[in-house]
Amino acid sequence: MAITLSDKAATHVANFLTKRGKGLGLRLGVRTSGCSGMAYKLEFVDEVNEDDVIFEAKGVKVIVDAKSMPYLEGMELDFAREGLNEGFKFNNPNVKDQCGCGESFNV
Amino acid sequence: MALFQIAEPGESAAPHEHKLAIGIDLGTTNSLVATVRSGIAVCLADEQGRPLLPSVVRYHADSTTEVGYDAQRQQAVDPKNTIVSVKRFMGRGLRDIAHVESMPYDFIEAPGMVKLKTHAGIKSPVEVSAEVLKSLKARAEHALGGELVGAVITVPAYFDDAQRQATKDAARLAGLNVLRLLNEPTAAAIAYGLDNGAEGVYAVYDLGGGTFDISILKLTKGVFEVMSTGGDSALGGDDFDHRIYCWVIEQAKLQPLSPEDSRRLMMRCREAKEFLSKNPEAPIMLRVDSGEMIEVKLDVATFTNITQTLISKTMQPVKKALRDAGLRADDIKGVVMVGGSTRMPQVQKAVGDFFRQEPLTNLDPDKVVALGAATQANLLAGNKTGKDDWLLLDVIPLSLGLETMGGLTEKVIPRNSTIPTARAQEFTTYKDGQTAMAIHVVQGEREMIADCRSLARFELRGIPAMVAGAARIRVTFQVDADGLLSVSAREQTTGVESSITVKPSYGLSDDEIAGMLKDSMEHAKDDAMARALREAQVEGERMIEATEAALAEDAHLLNETEIARIKATIAKLHATIAGDNRRLINIAMDDLGFETQAFAHRRMDQSIKKVLSGRKVDDIRMGEEE
Amino acid sequence: MDLTADFFSLFELPKTFRLNVSELDSRFRDVQAQVHPDRFAHASESERRMSMQWATRANEAYQTLKKPLERARYLLELAGHDIQAESNTAMPLDFLVEQMEWREAVMEARIGGDHHELERLYLRLRGDMDAHYAAIGELLDDSHDYAQATDQVRRLMFLDKLLHEIDDALASLDD
Repeated sequence: MAITLSDKAATHVANFLTKRGKGLGLRLGVRTSGCSGMAYKLEFVDEVNEDDVIFEAKGVKVIVDAKSMPYLEGMELDFAREGLNEGFKFNNPNVKDQCGCGESFNV
Repeated sequence: MALFQIAEPGESAAPHEHKLAIGIDLGTTNSLVATVRSGIAVCLADEQGRPLLPSVVRYHADSTTEVGYDAQRQQAVDPKNTIVSVKRFMGRGLRDIAHVESMPYDFIEAPGMVKLKTHAGIKSPVEVSAEVLKSLKARAEHALGGELVGAVITVPAYFDDAQRQATKDAARLAGLNVLRLLNEPTAAAIAYGLDNGAEGVYAVYDLGGGTFDISILKLTKGVFEVMSTGGDSALGGDDFDHRIYCWVIEQAKLQPLSPEDSRRLMMRCREAKEFLSKNPEAPIMLRVDSGEMIEVKLDVATFTNITQTLISKTMQPVKKALRDAGLRADDIKGVVMVGGSTRMPQVQKAVGDFFRQEPLTNLDPDKVVALGAATQANLLAGNKTGKDDWLLLDVIPLSLGLETMGGLTEKVIPRNSTIPTARAQEFTTYKDGQTAMAIHVVQGEREMIADCRSLARFELRGIPAMVAGAARIRVTFQVDADGLLSVSAREQTTGVESSITVKPSYGLSDDEIAGMLKDSMEHAKDDAMARALREAQVEGERMIEATEAALAEDAHLLNETEIARIKATIAKLHATIAGDNRRLINIAMDDLGFETQAFAHRRMDQSIKKVLSGRKVDDIRMGEEE
Repeated sequence: MDLTADFFSLFELPKTFRLNVSELDSRFRDVQAQVHPDRFAHASESERRMSMQWATRANEAYQTLKKPLERARYLLELAGHDIQAESNTAMPLDFLVEQMEWREAVMEARIGGDHHELERLYLRLRGDMDAHYAAIGELLDDSHDYAQATDQVRRLMFLDKLLHEIDDALASLDD
């Protein structure tokens, strides 16, 4: 599968899911919105939809809707700490340009 | 590059619209800030990875400040300008503060609240607390990478109106939007209850650095209902330090100490206290300025003995809170321990003995309040959470009353009333042609006015001249969800209805806050003006968004004229937001608020009907269950 | 229905003295979940103000309906019968004598530090009061005899005060 999770990202996702106490896995996706056209989705999953693609990466169930797949091909989800801030990072080769903070992007 | 958090299903925020909200535990000894990240409450640490921020502020002569560990290290070097435990002075006059004699500060008595003379000028406890809050705010903004929509600040449940108002003023001064003042034990109950899926009646025993609270809560299906609360807002770990301090002075037969020595010895005493939580004996050693060496050993038995009265002092409010809730110790399903001082074994033993059960200590007593506050802040900011929604029903800790003839108190709102609450009282004139009337509001349980805390004295003026007893003045006391009181008065018989809102005398006016902000900023005026304008614009945009959402959902509650008027007012507000006149924006917002008032009430009515519908009326007519 | 509607209507409950208290509890929570200021913390100032008014009203309604004595007084008030609590306190002599005996017993137990006796008095008084409440239920809900109900309520106000005194006495022994 062309979408991957770094070791750190996988550990953190598994951790968050345990602490949350429910959830099937992690949803990755894109939707149109934001100043540069598209925005990422990063959500817990309680229900799987018909057009979802499900696969496992490093022990974590990853769920992506079929429409988002092409935009996420080759993407790696990483977990990073920057100063006091920490969170997930999308390393996406499909992105041509993005807004200053990277919350919104274009392909 | 942005860092993402995992959202709840379907709740991914649009880019740049994450609602960053924080919870702050503003403690006597230490403070913390926490937030909810990927659905989990976490405390935010500083660059060195330390979650606690000592609530210590040092003022330099050039008006710069040091806050936290840096200031704490300097407290014995520069005791007069290094303020510790400032929470004890919030909303307090000089005569309310215990052990003033062993404190190194230059106190200045000021109306309502004491002030401190430092070499950076005279500082109010509100300003000192604001420095602590600013430091936590900066930490949070740095850690979350954006502007905060708001904060929940915790206060001891037993804080009175003056202490609450002072805390809220400090937060405003620090530039925080206060979503709610939350009682510390209630915050702990949220963190504990949601984590453990608790149901039943719980007691929260919260012994912090300088305050003690006991709250009895009923947890049912996502509702946290405070049944009663009690405490002592001047009793905490500091007092245990002070007992050791006095014991050492007695043992070593010391002469009065210099402020520097005094502070150093107090630090040794605190260390000894902490050491005794895990060890049978603690050495206390200090070389004082005179060259004399203090060297004593304190064992657990002696420590327990000299602090016995402090512990029994906490048990009185516990008994009273149980009585107020109409319960006995056996009715309590679990006792949650909160606050660093509950680490002392003799405290745990006393609580365990009283409730005849092992107290619950599975959450870090230092962090649990901040974590609960962050969880509540996340909910109040409008972020969805994984857990089902919950509802908090808190109470007012002390009765509110009025002075009547002969210096007696007449209770208007009794303690443990669920907030928000209001009560109206009618007054009349006792002299012909009387046009003014004095009203004195107090807080406390005692019968004599002198034994209660005076909150506000104000005079109702402009009463139309009538014969004695003819005027009817209705005074309304409103306590909001923060536990803060406001008073308004209205003369009802004449066509002229005069209405005033009274803010208790110790609170800071908007002008004073603006003045303090100005003092603390360079180019203050421009900054403050720009900030105020931006705030008004954001508020205006939010209001338009909310109104449009309401129209999209519930336009059926309005007729066409009403819809047209609301739309026209929205357009007007839009136009003012595009400009840079803050006053015009505020006026346009008031207009929209006025135009949508009836709509808002109809929507509220509809939502109540909806939630009550579908119930069987047969269920209702059952027997009396008292 | 609006903010000025009576307390029973607010919870959509029938205006009766006999009331399913657990139903009241759950309706109160449901209403409060809709109107509480915590639901409007991020809303505009006017909405926050409105929410405070509603939540205040819901609290007041709940407190009034929850306590049987308050509920009875409120029902009488809705029916246009003023309790005249302050101005008209002339009670029958035998009732007053009985009250005096109660007070003496409480005072004696208090001075003697007799915890057990106070508990006994407390339970006996609660039993007495329950009988009065049962009577009020019939008078208000079945026979609609408001004059008789008013008399019962006034008696209960005395007993309620007495109950508080026993409570205080027990509290003072605890301390």
